[in-house]
Amino acid sequence: MSDAWIYGTDGGEETSRLLAELGFSPHRVAANGTLRPPEGESRAPALALVLANGLEQPSCAELCARLAADDELGEVPVIVALGSEGLLEGIGVAEGHELLVEPFTAEELQARIARARRAVNGIDHDDIVRVGSLEMNLATYQVAIGGRPVDFTYMEYELLKFLVTHPKRVFSREALLNRVWGYDYYGGARTVDVHVRRVRAKLGSEHAARIKTVRSVGYRWEGT
Amino acid sequence: MTGREEFVLRTVEERGVRFIRLWFVDVLGLLKSVSIPVSELESALEEGVGLDGSSLEGAARQREHDVIAHPDPRTFQVLPWKPDSLVARMFCDVRQPDDGPFGGDSRAALRRVLEQAAALGYTMQVGCEVEFFIFGPLGSNGDVPTTLDDGAYFDLTPLDVGSDFRRRTIEYLEQMGIPVKASHHEVAPSQHEIQLAHTDGLSMADSISTFRIAVKEAAHELGAYATFMPKPLAAYPGSGMHLHISLFEGDRNAFHAAQAEQPLSPTGRAFLAGVLAHATELTAVTNQWINSYRRLATGFEAPEHVSWTRRGAAALVRVPSRRPNRAERTRFELRSPDPACNPYMVLSLVLAAGLRGIERGYELQAESIDDEPDGAARLPLDLREATDLFDASELARETLGDRLCDVFVANKRRELDDERRTVTEFDRARYLRLL
Repeated sequence: MSDAWIYGTDGGEETSRLLAELGFSPHRVAANGTLRPPEGESRAPALALVLANGLEQPSCAELCARLAADDELGEVPVIVALGSEGLLEGIGVAEGHELLVEPFTAEELQARIARARRAVNGIDHDDIVRVGSLEMNLATYQVAIGGRPVDFTYMEYELLKFLVTHPKRVFSREALLNRVWGYDYYGGARTVDVHVRRVRAKLGSEHAARIKTVRSVGYRWEGT
Repeated sequence: MTGREEFVLRTVEERGVRFIRLWFVDVLGLLKSVSIPVSELESALEEGVGLDGSSLEGAARQREHDVIAHPDPRTFQVLPWKPDSLVARMFCDVRQPDDGPFGGDSRAALRRVLEQAAALGYTMQVGCEVEFFIFGPLGSNGDVPTTLDDGAYFDLTPLDVGSDFRRRTIEYLEQMGIPVKASHHEVAPSQHEIQLAHTDGLSMADSISTFRIAVKEAAHELGAYATFMPKPLAAYPGSGMHLHISLFEGDRNAFHAAQAEQPLSPTGRAFLAGVLAHATELTAVTNQWINSYRRLATGFEAPEHVSWTRRGAAALVRVPSRRPNRAERTRFELRSPDPACNPYMVLSLVLAAGLRGIERGYELQAESIDDEPDGAARLPLDLREATDLFDASELARETLGDRLCDVFVANKRRELDDERRTVTEFDRARYLRLL
């Protein structure tokens, strides 16, 4: 299940409930300067929701800027939720990838999430990423090329998923190790090269070249 | 439930997998499998599956005792050679019913040594060249097998069944996540070599186990039989399994020398010195069958002495020349192992010997030039000598534990006893008329 992190000074119970109904695992983050929930979640969430109402230190703009600048959270889709008074003052209107005005319904939340994930990660509303004949279904962990299933191991799948949903950005081996493997690996930084090679072999000629090796830096996914 | 387990359960459901094979290896590296239906998968992931631990003891099996096989969801993979009824496999960690370590599991032993290396900041990378033969269908035990590409076995495809076979094998391997670097026909008729791209030690040992079954499956589909027997044909070279070994500290190859004139860094030299210092004790695992020594005895590029070189083909270890802009490729090539070894035991001991060389600052012996051994120690001549050296090896006992060592030695002594009692072709050819 994908994590969703909720930033706010108070409230948010209703938003948590709605996110849980949509299949996310919600975690509250006290917006007092930290960017991560207290439970020590190691992986970046699928989504960040900023409840802009009452945010002062840091301001909504500061918080969004810090999220964007964070090594691990930089490409998390950010949705900013505002009260209508915030809308009048223009605070937070320009921040994040999507805007929500309170009160909002579950349907609207779902639609805004889908738009933000589509814009940032290329994930369609049905949780499928489509790149040419490649289809990656994030809900069922299945990958198909031209409708034919391709069987990945878990780590190969996780690596491909990360690259595919973070297109056009170069990631160092170190960054990929931290973000895809966490601390659960034996092979050291070379593990990344080994897995890239395996994933390319399984992807076959049409898609293998989409994983670009950026010499002495790392890897980049070219979706288009 | 972790993401890995959810991945396994979901994939089984989505892909319509019918059975899951839980794989583990015995002390000799032979792959064992317990098949479970999908309905048992969730409980197998949570609690493991009970086994008779003596099934890991090879031929020296004694009394039954319970152990638990815990499937490792990271190794979940649909098998490509069963397209009609989907079957997947997972490698298992074997533990005691109270979840304590089980001393008879060589895969666990390798994990332990890899963890020790990781605690020192090192990860081992291993590449591997595996040689093997494919023959026509086997006759009765003891018959000389038919080679496929000297025209003797013509009812298979008329051209080169070998290249067909290699293509199919490579497809299987790539679908199993075992990338192949190269493949070619070997020196002997019916002999092939496939090079596996480097990976970490545990993945390589798992890959070699998977490789052997994938090759056998691909051969079987073509009506042929693949064997990793080290020396099946007297007149031709045997099959070796050269291991390419390097050690990384993070992104940096710890074997790469700063000075151009050195083939290896000080760390690399000490590691190699450790491997050479313990090479005679390791021979029982790199070459664990009576037949292994027939390969070593006849030359054909198989090593007989404890030596290293940058050139030449007869040394135990070859160190490829240093390439300034290719630091990640610096490595040494260990040439004694054969493809019928237990890769978990071999990699455990090679790594442990190398780490000992680093820890104790072993000095690397002089390079052997032009294949002259220069008074270098010789490798054991046969399995008996090798087993005695292994049995007395403090490094082996410390690395593998007494249980694994004792069971291994018991297996080897039994094999030697069986051979001692056997009257062979050699006996009759040599003695029947003479005496």
